[in-house]
Amino acid sequence: MIKTLIIDDEPLAAELVKEYLMDYPLIEVVAMCQDGFSGFKAIQEHHPDLIFLDIQMPKITGFEMLELLDEAPAVVFTTAFDQYALKAFDAQALDYLLKPFSKERFKQAMERVLNQLRYPSSDEDSGLQSLAEKSNRLVVRVKNDIKIIPIQSVRFFEAEDDYVAIHTEEGKFLKKMTMKQLEDSLDQGKFARVHRSYLINLNEITGIEPYERESYLAKMRSGEKIPVSKSGYARLRQVLGL
Amino acid sequence: MLLNAFSNPNLGKWVIPGAGLIWFLGCLFLLIEWGLESSLAGADAFFYALLFVGGVLILDRVFSLISPKGKNVWLIFFLPISLSFISVWIHRWVLDWYVGDSAYREMLNGQLYLRWTVLGMAEQMVALLALAVSQLERQDEINKRESQMLELAKEAELTQLRQQLQPHFLFNSLNSINSLVVSQPQRAREMVLLLSDFLRGTIRKDLQARVELREELQTLKMYLEIERIRFGHRLIVDFHIGEGTESIRIPQLMIQPLVENAIKHGLYGVAGEVKIEIRAQLDGNYLILEVKNPFDPTASTQSGTGFGLSSVERRLFLIFGRKDLLQKSVQQEVFQVTLKIPIF
Repeated sequence: MIKTLIIDDEPLAAELVKEYLMDYPLIEVVAMCQDGFSGFKAIQEHHPDLIFLDIQMPKITGFEMLELLDEAPAVVFTTAFDQYALKAFDAQALDYLLKPFSKERFKQAMERVLNQLRYPSSDEDSGLQSLAEKSNRLVVRVKNDIKIIPIQSVRFFEAEDDYVAIHTEEGKFLKKMTMKQLEDSLDQGKFARVHRSYLINLNEITGIEPYERESYLAKMRSGEKIPVSKSGYARLRQVLGL
Repeated sequence: MLLNAFSNPNLGKWVIPGAGLIWFLGCLFLLIEWGLESSLAGADAFFYALLFVGGVLILDRVFSLISPKGKNVWLIFFLPISLSFISVWIHRWVLDWYVGDSAYREMLNGQLYLRWTVLGMAEQMVALLALAVSQLERQDEINKRESQMLELAKEAELTQLRQQLQPHFLFNSLNSINSLVVSQPQRAREMVLLLSDFLRGTIRKDLQARVELREELQTLKMYLEIERIRFGHRLIVDFHIGEGTESIRIPQLMIQPLVENAIKHGLYGVAGEVKIEIRAQLDGNYLILEVKNPFDPTASTQSGTGFGLSSVERRLFLIFGRKDLLQKSVQQEVFQVTLKIPIF
């Protein structure tokens, strides 16, 4: 059996997918969820093989939910917005169904899904990339729960192996992404990459002091001191207009 | 052109010939007064007036085509002076040759500078007048084009604003119908009818026209009913419509964007049950409209920030010339917009 989850904030839209799925005896719909939070919980609980996912939903978007997963199941997006198609492709979605869609179009998607589940391609494990997108918040996992961090409440970011540590007033949170991806998704006027491993919130800086030869320390409002490299110092001077 | 200085073009047509006639009569009487034979005075005055009219026509034409500025300013003085100089000499030579009388030639030579001064002064005035008229014409043209462009830009902006809001709503509604067709055909039909009535109501062409609040509320109810079918019973709407408000005429599509905004941030942004309140009441010379919705403060700005509201703000400014008619406030997790519409 192929365990399947349908996540859509409109019950009728979810019902339609369920109805179309009746033609596939191998498919077992294990749950239907109305937002990204409950979708995330249901994935932890059922470990589905396949999800049908809407993008614009309350609390967190379909993309944000996918970013939280260690191992993503096969994904088929269902949405009325066509501007996310490229991004969905980047997120390695198997298909992208534009509402309203026909049974024939749905059949095509299912052929692709069944093919993929039967003969998984080697790059399936590469998982989902977190996608560079200008957003004013970050969505992270705290054990089995979800935390939404507004970008302006972040003091600084620190690279930690495959993760980025997000330092806020409430403590430290980890998110699986690279510094490059993070840097691309941030507003250049508000954050600066001051070091290979550090990205800081410009609002939190209270001063810069020399440290060793050609390196500096940025003093933060919270009292922490962040190393600043030579090129990072140049960038900092530029954005601060010194 | 000088004749355009009159709002009635039929009248304008007679300006230049009229000036020529006055010139002719003036000269004629003056010359007879000075003792010239009347037939001779007639020929002299007639030719002099002809030259004057010719000069006026030339100057009028020239200054309607070019308006001297900066380095070319000398043209305003040089052209009338040289033109009148040439005219006076032509007048002298032609009449001398035509009449051939030595006493008359004596008189022409004596009056040459006087005639030049008078004609030069007159043509100078005409040149300045022609210039002023043509400048006014040009300004008029520019103003007309500018206001037309503004009008077009307004129209286009409003259409675009509305279209940006509609498509996903439409496609999602069609998707709901697609789902209902098999499971609940009656509700599918209901939805089709609601959707078509609603769309017909929105695609009204004349945004300037005012409609009764009653009519706007009807469209609104259809819209909310569609949303209720889409989202099941998650949506609750409370209408509080004050007495006597329903017959007030208001500009079209003013409340709609506010409610769309409430739905967008309330229904699309918050999980679970969502309550939207719509209130209308009278306050002196204003109709007060309030729309309240819950919202999620951590929601991503991606879903748009007051985009629908800014279009309403712009339209209020275009219609009433005021910027204080739309107010937003946030209390805990409830967003409220208040719209004040002046009643005439």
